[in-house]
Amino acid sequence: MKCVRKFDARPKLDGSWKFLDDYSYPEMIHGQLLYSKCHHGYIKKINFPPNYDLSEFTIVSPKDIPGENIVPEPVCDQPFMVDKEVMHYGQVIMGIAHPDRKLLLKFIKETKIEYEELPAITGIKECLENEDNHFGKEITIDHSINKEPEADWKYHHNVYYTQHQEQAYLEPQGVISIYDPKANNMFVRITAQCPFFVKSGVEAIMGNAVDEVIIETSEGIGGAFGGKEDFPSLFAGISSLLSYKCGKPVKIVLERTDDIQITTKRHPSRIELETWTDPVTNKIMRCRIDYRLDAGAYQTLSPVVLARGILHSISGYSVPDTVIRGRLFKSNTPSNGAFRGFGAPQAFAAMEAHIDRIAAEMNIDPYKFRKINLFKIGDEFPTTQKVLEENLSDCLERVIQKSDYHNKVKEFAEWNKTHKDKKGIGIAVAYHGGGYTGNGEKILNSEIKVVIEKDAMVKIFVSNTDMGQGAHTTLAQMFFEAIGHPREKCKIQLPNTSKTPNSGPTVASRTIYIIGNLLRKLAFQLKDEFGFDNLEEYVNTHQEEFPQEFHKNFTPDPSVIFDENTFVGIAYKDYSWAACVNEIYFHADIYKIELKKSWNVFDVGKVVNHKIATGQAEGGILQGLAYGASEFFYKPGFGRMHGFTDYALPTTLDLPEMDIEFIHTDSEMAKGLGEIPTNFPAPSVRNAFHNATGIFIDEYPLIPERLLKALEE
Amino acid sequence: MKLKLNINNRYYNANIDADESLLDVLRHLGFKSVKKGCDTGTCGVCSVLIDGEPILSCQFLAARAEGHKITTVEGLGEKADEIIDVIINEGADQCGYCGPALVLTTYAMKQELKNPTVEKINHYLAGNLCRCSGYEGQLRGIKKYMGVE
Repeated sequence: MKCVRKFDARPKLDGSWKFLDDYSYPEMIHGQLLYSKCHHGYIKKINFPPNYDLSEFTIVSPKDIPGENIVPEPVCDQPFMVDKEVMHYGQVIMGIAHPDRKLLLKFIKETKIEYEELPAITGIKECLENEDNHFGKEITIDHSINKEPEADWKYHHNVYYTQHQEQAYLEPQGVISIYDPKANNMFVRITAQCPFFVKSGVEAIMGNAVDEVIIETSEGIGGAFGGKEDFPSLFAGISSLLSYKCGKPVKIVLERTDDIQITTKRHPSRIELETWTDPVTNKIMRCRIDYRLDAGAYQTLSPVVLARGILHSISGYSVPDTVIRGRLFKSNTPSNGAFRGFGAPQAFAAMEAHIDRIAAEMNIDPYKFRKINLFKIGDEFPTTQKVLEENLSDCLERVIQKSDYHNKVKEFAEWNKTHKDKKGIGIAVAYHGGGYTGNGEKILNSEIKVVIEKDAMVKIFVSNTDMGQGAHTTLAQMFFEAIGHPREKCKIQLPNTSKTPNSGPTVASRTIYIIGNLLRKLAFQLKDEFGFDNLEEYVNTHQEEFPQEFHKNFTPDPSVIFDENTFVGIAYKDYSWAACVNEIYFHADIYKIELKKSWNVFDVGKVVNHKIATGQAEGGILQGLAYGASEFFYKPGFGRMHGFTDYALPTTLDLPEMDIEFIHTDSEMAKGLGEIPTNFPAPSVRNAFHNATGIFIDEYPLIPERLLKALEE
Repeated sequence: MKLKLNINNRYYNANIDADESLLDVLRHLGFKSVKKGCDTGTCGVCSVLIDGEPILSCQFLAARAEGHKITTVEGLGEKADEIIDVIINEGADQCGYCGPALVLTTYAMKQELKNPTVEKINHYLAGNLCRCSGYEGQLRGIKKYMGVE
């Protein structure tokens, strides 16, 4: 476990690293998006403001599209721009470009759109409580037993709600499209996680009008967290159309308000849980889960989020008789999309809260109740996948020990007797399946390329992007440590669809787990095939063989079989595991939860770079804690969310003391780490609040207004 | 309107509109370390020093900057290295978008806080948002730089 420094650290801090808005091209003009401020309706008229010379503007609408007005996604139902009916607030109506950005913004602000408004669904409960509002394919995981519950089993039934979470990457989304009429190609530089997704998007909108589409990311991508996964396809399509029409490079960098109002967010959820627990053994014997997501106006990639969500919805518990039903619901707000965790944080927010509810009502300590019910070797996930390790239990044991949980439970209970303010402690466990769900990795068939030059420089070509998570440093490290080569002699090519092979998108905690391990395998393979101990010496003595290019594709494990219709089989070959204990201090006079201490233990297998891994864990945990305690998005008034004054992010004043430990690091396999830190903090905060006050809150986040209401009731 | 701005101890002539922010003018002049994140004075990535004190350049009219000394991270030179090193040593840099502003604000904090404590540091840096790191690694490094355990 080494701590190789990130190669891009210094230029990022001294300001020389180039982010998208730092790029400029000759004759480049600025673009922006004109979008709907109406949730649902028909456009009657668009009134451009007077006193502007319209001939100076380039304007694109669906009639300018040479290809198709449909964004290619898992479900192709979202248009690039409004065709007839406005389906949500923030839906793009037109792309507009002008050489003067300030004037362009003023023009768009003064443009008035007349709508014929139609009824709209904007509230979370309005969307998710209405059975008729369901759309798309329903998924069921049926691990039921044809047996009625025993009469003495304790029945618990509750509904849990989570709301939007904004990715809030600090660099707003940006794109530059450059149409070259001579080559008849489109070059796009963009802040995106998945260059090949963007390529498909631009190809779809441009149709046969261009011969080639090339996507390259900017040198720096200022955070993403899932938010730069699917929206960039739509965004790049419109900027490319603008560039094609005006014949000049077009740059669109979103204003923060626009970024918040039109891009994807974490899906709000309603998760209804019914459990039956044997009072003699304290084992949960039966569980029924109704997992609902608010997909927004279109399905886009929500079915994939839904799949991952339901696959994590039983949390880490072995329940013999389980049925899980997953459905998407429609609302007139922007399509929700990827956000770190991808459906799993909602699942754990519900089940980990429910576990504490059962434990409290059965008068058993939440830790003990978890221990009784946690996966044991030989148990089955609801998909029938066998549990092969008890590392989740190891994480829980370790975090309980580190946090001195048992003594603190007693100590806080005593302290709370004599104080108006309260102290609380809460547990949660989680896991995260690495890589694409089911057969996804098999279908992706990811490819990597490595070029070894005559001077023994190694260049790695992958399409996975580094948006701050340190992927490029860690990927290079996995290769050069395996092949035994100096770090300075390994470089990573900036993702570019004409140079880097398609190694898949930068999502699903798959970059290190799939691509990193693939690079490692290639390194060992080259050592074996060429029989060298020292690559540099070998290259020097075999100059005629170099430069040489090596390719390798991901080889799926043939034993991984998953039926995507019945959801039976192995959903994920490897899982990362984690458990946490969080301590809170409840300020009774201002109804505020202060996060005091956060203890976290992970099993992510081999930790390639300890400092990068720790940073990933810490950042993800704070996002998860804020998801549970403070980040509030006012959904019914989408247009009221303007920026970080309305959507408050945690600051240095909101931090708990944080402790991170990785266990089982002697493993050969580096598993996924990107998402699991965000999966479990929220319910542990909720459980800590219950521990402090005896009150259950079943709607996240635990903001003061909600706590006040609960305490009054 | 025409301005003469002292940026990093060099004078620059700029022809600006009266309503232009210092952020936009600095970026136009090529100081790309000054980032744009929110335009509402809430994220801190546009921080620069005016006469040694950190301000949010998106909320500061460029016209008001004439006659003052403006410092961006490019202007700190070697003084930035010590801060950059402590952050890098903790592996705390992630996407880097907040990085230059954090380095500048930390430098100003060192000049201003005579008896730094963890609480004072956390208060001083509360306006510099970071979405990636959870602040933990940044603060580990910065506490070392400030001589606070």
